[in-house]
Amino acid sequence: MSAVTGSSVTTVRRAVLWVPDWPVVAAMAEAGLSADAPAAVLHGRGMVAVSAAARAAGVRRGQRKRLAQRACPQLAILTHDEGRDSRGFESVAAAAEQVVSGVEISRPGLLMIPADGAARFHGSEEALAEALVGAIADLAGCECSVGAADGLLAAILAARTSSLIPLGKSADFLAGMGIETLSFAAMERVQRDAVEDLASVLVRLGIHTLGEFTALPLSDVVARFGPVGAWAHRIARGEDVAPPVLRRSEEDIAVEYVFEEPAQRVEQLTLVARHVAELLATALLEAGMRCAKVRIVARTERGEELERVWRTDVGSRAGAFAAHMTDRVRWQLEGWLSGTSNGPERAALSSLGVVAEDVVPLGAEQSYLWGGVSGADSRAQRTLERVQGLLGLEGVLAVREQGGRSPRDRVLALPWGQELTPVRPPAHPWPGQIPDPPPATVLPSPERIQLLDAGGTVVSVGRRLAMSAPPTWVRHEEDPGAERTAAMRRHPSSRHNAGPVWGAPLPIDAWAGPWPVAERWWSSEASRRAYLQVALRDGPALLVAFSDGGWWLEAIYD
Amino acid sequence: MFESESVVTGVEATHVRLARARAALTAVESRVGSGREGWDSPTLPLATSLSEVLPGGLRRGQVVSVEGSTSLMLALAARASAEGSWTVAIGMPSLGIVAAARRGIELHRLALVPHPGVNVAAVAGACVDGMDVVLCGPGLALSDADRRRLVARARERGSVIVAAGSWAGAHARLVVEASRWEGLGAGDGRLRSRTLTVAIRAREGSPVSRVVLTLDQQRSLPRVRPSGSGQARTERAGLEGAA
Repeated sequence: MSAVTGSSVTTVRRAVLWVPDWPVVAAMAEAGLSADAPAAVLHGRGMVAVSAAARAAGVRRGQRKRLAQRACPQLAILTHDEGRDSRGFESVAAAAEQVVSGVEISRPGLLMIPADGAARFHGSEEALAEALVGAIADLAGCECSVGAADGLLAAILAARTSSLIPLGKSADFLAGMGIETLSFAAMERVQRDAVEDLASVLVRLGIHTLGEFTALPLSDVVARFGPVGAWAHRIARGEDVAPPVLRRSEEDIAVEYVFEEPAQRVEQLTLVARHVAELLATALLEAGMRCAKVRIVARTERGEELERVWRTDVGSRAGAFAAHMTDRVRWQLEGWLSGTSNGPERAALSSLGVVAEDVVPLGAEQSYLWGGVSGADSRAQRTLERVQGLLGLEGVLAVREQGGRSPRDRVLALPWGQELTPVRPPAHPWPGQIPDPPPATVLPSPERIQLLDAGGTVVSVGRRLAMSAPPTWVRHEEDPGAERTAAMRRHPSSRHNAGPVWGAPLPIDAWAGPWPVAERWWSSEASRRAYLQVALRDGPALLVAFSDGGWWLEAIYD
Repeated sequence: MFESESVVTGVEATHVRLARARAALTAVESRVGSGREGWDSPTLPLATSLSEVLPGGLRRGQVVSVEGSTSLMLALAARASAEGSWTVAIGMPSLGIVAAARRGIELHRLALVPHPGVNVAAVAGACVDGMDVVLCGPGLALSDADRRRLVARARERGSVIVAAGSWAGAHARLVVEASRWEGLGAGDGRLRSRTLTVAIRAREGSPVSRVVLTLDQQRSLPRVRPSGSGQARTERAGLEGAA
């Protein structure tokens, strides 16, 4: 690699391995279809990847489902799953690693390989490409094409045509390419959208090839298009944006114990857990490794699995690993056996396994910016574990924000120490989300409340979101144990009515709404609510919801 | 003669000034209850907007009781949490997590103990030992003796207890007397800014001072005012909003 200013560029010679239409190849492999079947992957409203047979029948990327089925009635339509794409591509990467060591997965479907050393080892770049194509076909069972060139974009384009661009000729190769090829070098969807926008603007400005684009002065491109323009200009000149990051694969270390007779009681399991944890600790020590996560898997007689992932920082507490993991196993199984936490149906356990994940060599773990784990951090961790010991697993919770509309949906709470992965990303747009500021008190379950108009009648919200009258008073439900409730119940006018007893009405100063939220109408947990923000005079504001003909207090802005 | 007299008045003036300054200082000290004993314990960082509420800062080993506002409790703990302190909330099952995050509490260093139950004394004791800021919810089953033990332990370990509801022997007692939200109309708008009137009592029997505090301030739409200066301010606000 050389850094030269001026007209020269900074590049790395690299080979690129490209599997055409990877999402559909992965989906077909999982669905068990043969490679020549017509298939397409559907995401949102259009096809994102199309197999060769389907393409021959006239199915195109971006086509609607109905049009695609008209073009090819026997088309197999598969669902989009990014996780499956990346999982499946691991096998391709592993196959490529049989030929060269150290490959970088740019995105599922595209592998970067530093060409210099590997080509020397195999004799020539042709030999390297041949070996790679052969290995992928044999071991991973899919077709791929390999190309080599200087720089990122040139190498990707070379792979698409299975050509090897000689050293120093990459700039000429790129100059004749169309401007829309820029988007091949974008690795993330957001970036690709931005680059596609840029390309369409350039085409409308009369710039059709990369050569014409790079002839523009960089400063003008930056002034007009900002960072995306600067990135595109560098890529179009054949430069690299970042050096390749090589993949180092470390196998997970797993220890499993199979019970001779299915185990029923926690006491049996605790002993085994300790034994298994000790085995894992020794295995890690022998390999000179440490792990960031531990997955505990318990299998029942019926073949169901109960698993949880725990974060650990075993390195900072050498020797405590076995005791630490024993506690985790005990909590996990106690909760499940007692039926307080959800999981598969209760059954005797046939085996117990502990798997160390995110394995790194000892001493290579990431540390904090200012040195190791601080004293306060490990002290706090120990404290929380002690409290967990007092109250049980679910007694101490860790929380994260997640996406959602109502304040209650926007929180993910899990037992402390367990791996937290929000299912709903908070960064997505959530139309209908209650606007900020968020309320400081969110009731765990909504409470009954009444909104009254000036005459004392309960206000209602119609199907078309019309309020029957402006709300003027709000009243809470009286505590059932309170003296007032008992007095009201005794009073003859109540006629021994068992309904709720309402407290004194409080005046409403101002209100906003109703904001409708209709969620998950397709499922059993469907909810249709209309939210209202209500400010009480000289008091806190409330978030109330109207659903099923009644008002519910959801949160308090106190 | 004339000159010496002027010198004498100058000296007197210095004396008088010094005495006046001392008087003012003691008045302030007695008002906010920050005597000499306050200076020997270190403080946790506190947002500058709250320095009026706790003039001595969030001192380690202190108990601050807050009545009537969860937001104020979160605001007290926020800056310290953002700068590396660990926070635990005991007996607050209805704590708004999103609100905590927006106030600046780092969720990676926040633990919840929503239902401590009968073990609350042991749990709170352990938390005071190991965490920097302990938020205690209302209605914890703690006797006065338990509370005294916790305070002693907090003083020894240097953690801060921020309790909802009254706490006998708190070093600072903050009572929210009124809170006022702006931004709602009759069926339109949304909650935007809020002012709290907080009554502060340093110790039992010490005088009460009141502070008006703006906690949530969102950039609101510019309102056209009749006066010229208001117009100019409106325009500036609009420009800031656009930038």
